[in-house]
Amino acid sequence: MKIKAQMTMVLNLDKCLGCHTCSIPCKNVWTSRQGAEYMWFNNVESKPGIGYPKNWEDQGIYRGGWTAKNNRLFLAAGGRVTKLSRIFNNPDLPQIDAYYEPWDYDYGGLVTSPVKKHQPAIRPRSQITGQSMEIQWGPNWEDDLAGVCETGTADTNFAGLDAQKYLEFEQAFMMYLPRLCEHCLSPACAASCPSGALYKRDEDGIVLVDQARCRGWRYCVSGCPYKKVYFNWKTGTSEKCIFCYPRTESGMTTMCSASCVGRIRYVGVILYDAERISQAASAADPKDIYPALVDIMLDPHDPDVLKQAEKQGISEAFLKAAQNSPTDKLMRKWPLALPLHPEYRTLPMVWYVPPLSPLQTGTENKKADETLSDMRIPVKYLANLLAAGDEAPVRRSLKYLMALRAYMRSLRLEKTPDKSILGQAGLDEKLDEPAVLEIYDLLAIAKHKDRFVIPTAPNPDQADMRAAQGEKGFE
Amino acid sequence: MSGFVHILGFIVFPYIALTIFVLGHAWRYVTDWKRWNAASSQFLHKDSLKGGITIFHWGSLLTLVGHAGGMLIPQRIYDLFGISEAAHNFMAHWVGLVAGLLMIAGGGWLLVRRIGQDRIAANTSVHDYVLLALLLVVSGLGLYNVVFTHYDVLYSVAPWIRSIVVLAPNPALMAPVPVSYKLHILSAFVLLAYSPFTRLVHIWSAPVTYLYRSYVIFRKLPGTKGA
Ligand code: HEM
Ligand code: SF4
Ligand code: SF4
Repeated sequence: MKIKAQMTMVLNLDKCLGCHTCSIPCKNVWTSRQGAEYMWFNNVESKPGIGYPKNWEDQGIYRGGWTAKNNRLFLAAGGRVTKLSRIFNNPDLPQIDAYYEPWDYDYGGLVTSPVKKHQPAIRPRSQITGQSMEIQWGPNWEDDLAGVCETGTADTNFAGLDAQKYLEFEQAFMMYLPRLCEHCLSPACAASCPSGALYKRDEDGIVLVDQARCRGWRYCVSGCPYKKVYFNWKTGTSEKCIFCYPRTESGMTTMCSASCVGRIRYVGVILYDAERISQAASAADPKDIYPALVDIMLDPHDPDVLKQAEKQGISEAFLKAAQNSPTDKLMRKWPLALPLHPEYRTLPMVWYVPPLSPLQTGTENKKADETLSDMRIPVKYLANLLAAGDEAPVRRSLKYLMALRAYMRSLRLEKTPDKSILGQAGLDEKLDEPAVLEIYDLLAIAKHKDRFVIPTAPNPDQADMRAAQGEKGFE
Repeated sequence: MSGFVHILGFIVFPYIALTIFVLGHAWRYVTDWKRWNAASSQFLHKDSLKGGITIFHWGSLLTLVGHAGGMLIPQRIYDLFGISEAAHNFMAHWVGLVAGLLMIAGGGWLLVRRIGQDRIAANTSVHDYVLLALLLVVSGLGLYNVVFTHYDVLYSVAPWIRSIVVLAPNPALMAPVPVSYKLHILSAFVLLAYSPFTRLVHIWSAPVTYLYRSYVIFRKLPGTKGA
C-alpha cells in the first residue's frame, strides 16, 4: 500500500445556477493575458450540447485519455514512438476555432468618432490578427440550450437515447456542467508530454505544467480527454488549471469554489492507494472503473491506514483534513458524487452529485425507480455523463437526494419524521438518521467551513521563490 | 581568394560563429527560458501546416544526420566497414538530393504560409522570416552543389571541418574547394551563429527521454520532504 493524498472537488449539480460567477475570478486572475484570452480554466456548460471546445467529449475526434487491453493502459492517441514520429504536426490537436477566436471591440472608436446623425457602432476585432471579424462561436455559445436543436445530436451523452426526441421543445431538458481540470490520478496529459513538463505534486496531487520545461510539443492538449490543457498561442507553451495552489497552500479554497453563488462546491483531501491506480484505470469493462476507483480510496479513520500514512510521511495536517473532508464523505463514504466520464480512464478527481429534475407526472404510488424514470433529465443521459453508461450508481445518488428531501419535509414541515421513507427509497441501512441530517447540513445548508477543509502545505524553503516565479504552471 | 580573406573565412569566422553559437545558447537558456520552445503555430491554423512542416523536418533531420555522418566521421572509418569512397559519395549524393528537395519544398511551403495566412502572419516575428529565408539559402546552396557541382568533399571539406572541431584549423584544405561550396559553408556558419536567437533552440530539447521515462511524474515541493 502506497498512500497518497489528493486534493479533490465535488460539485453538487442539483444546485448549480449556471451563473458563471465561478469562471470570472478564475479568468481575471489566471488567464487575462495575451495568448490566454480564449482559455477558461473553469467554464460552465449547458447540457445537452457539444461544449467547449466543440465536441470535447467525442474521443473519436481528439483521441484523448487511455484505452485498456489485458489490464494494461495505452494512450488512446498512440504510444511513445508514434507520438514522437508525428511531433511536428500533432494530428489530434484542436484548432483555436474549436474553442473560439478571441475578440474584443474597438472601444476607442466610440470616443474618437466624429459627431454623426446615428450613434457610432463598434465592430468585433480579432485578438489574434487585429482585423475585424465575424464572430462564429464563443466561450459559452450554447448557454441555456442556445442552438442546441442543431448541435445537440452530436452530444455523445445521448448514446442509447433518441437524441432528436430530447431536442424537441416538449421533451427538452437542461442542466449545467461547470468544468475544470480533474487533477486526475492517472493524468493522460502528463503521460502524453514528450518533455515530461507536466507533473503531479506529490503532496496534494495537483497537476501542473512546468513552464520552464514545456517546449510546446502540445500533446497534452490533445491527450487530456477533458480538453483542460490550453495552448498559449503567444508564448508557445501549455497552461492549465492550477487548482489555485497559491491559495490552497495557505489553507484557502480555490477561487471558483470560494465565489460559487450556489454554494455547490466542496473542496477537501482524500487518501488513496497509489499502487492500485493502473489496476483501477484498466478495468476491462468501463463500468467497473468507478467502483474500482472508490475501492482504492482509503478510509482516513481506519487506524491501519493512519499508521501507514504517517509512516510514509503524510503530514498531520493532511491526515486531519482527510478525516474532516467533505469530499471524502461525498465520494467514498455515502457515496453521492460520481466522476465525470470515468471511461476516459484518467481517474478524475473532480466529481459531481447528479441533479434531480422536474417530474413529468405525479409521484403517488410510484416506486422510487419509477419516479426517477419520470424525471425530465433521462437517467441514461446522466449515466453516460457520470458513470460510463451504468444507471445503477446514478439511480442510487438520485434516490438518496429524493429521500433526503422527503424525509426533511416530514421532519421540518409535517413535524413527524417518517423513517420509512428512507427504507422505501430502497436505501441501504448505512443512510440512517444522523447521516441524513449530516448530508442535509452539507448539501443544503452548506456552510463555508463545512464545504472547504483545506490543509496548509508544509513550509517550503522560500529562498529561491523569486527566481522560480513564472515556472509553476502559470506565467 | 586572397590569403587574408581565406583565413578570415575559414578560421576566424567559423570560430566566431561557434563562440556565438555556444554563448548564445547559454545566454538564451538562462535569460529567456520562457521562450525556449518550438513556438508552434499549429493551434492557430492546422491544415496549412501539415504537409509542409512534416517534409521540412524529415528533410532537416536527414540533413543533420547526413552531415554528421559524412563530415565528422573520417573516410578511414568507412573504409574499415568496406564502404569505399565511391560508394560513400554515391550515398551522399542521393541522400543529399532527397533531403535537400524535402527541405526546400517544405521550407518554401512554410514561408508562403507565414506570409499568406492572416493569423500566422500576425503572429510571425522578423526572426521567423529571416530564419526560414536563411534555411532556404543554406539548403538551396547545398542542393545546388549536390546537383551541379560534383566535387569530392571527403578529403577536403570534411577533414577541414574536423580540423575546426579539434581546434587545429587547417584552412589549406579549403583552398581548392569550389566557390559554391564555400558559400554553402559560410552561410551555414551564419545560420549556426544566428540559431540561438531563433526558435531553432527547440532542436536541443528534442524529447528523446520520452522513449524511456515513466509516464506520470510525481514531484515533491521544493525544500520539503513530502507532505
Ligand atoms: C529534433 C527534433 C525536432 C523536433 C521534435 C521539432 C519540432 C518542431 C515543432 C513541433 C515545430 C512547430 C510546428 C508548428 O506547429 O508550427 C517546429 C517548427 C520548426 N522547426 Fe523543428 N523540430 C526538430 C528539429 C528541427 C530541425 C533540425 C530544424 C532545422 C534545422 C527545425 C526547424 C524548424 C523550423 C524552421 C520551424 C518553424 C516552421 C515555421 O516557420 O512554421 N526543426 N519544429
Ligand atoms: S483533466 Fe487535468 S489532470 Fe486530467 S488529463 Fe486533463 S489536464 Fe490532465
Ligand atoms: S458559481 Fe457555482 S452556481 Fe454559479 S455557475 Fe459556477 S458552479 Fe454553478
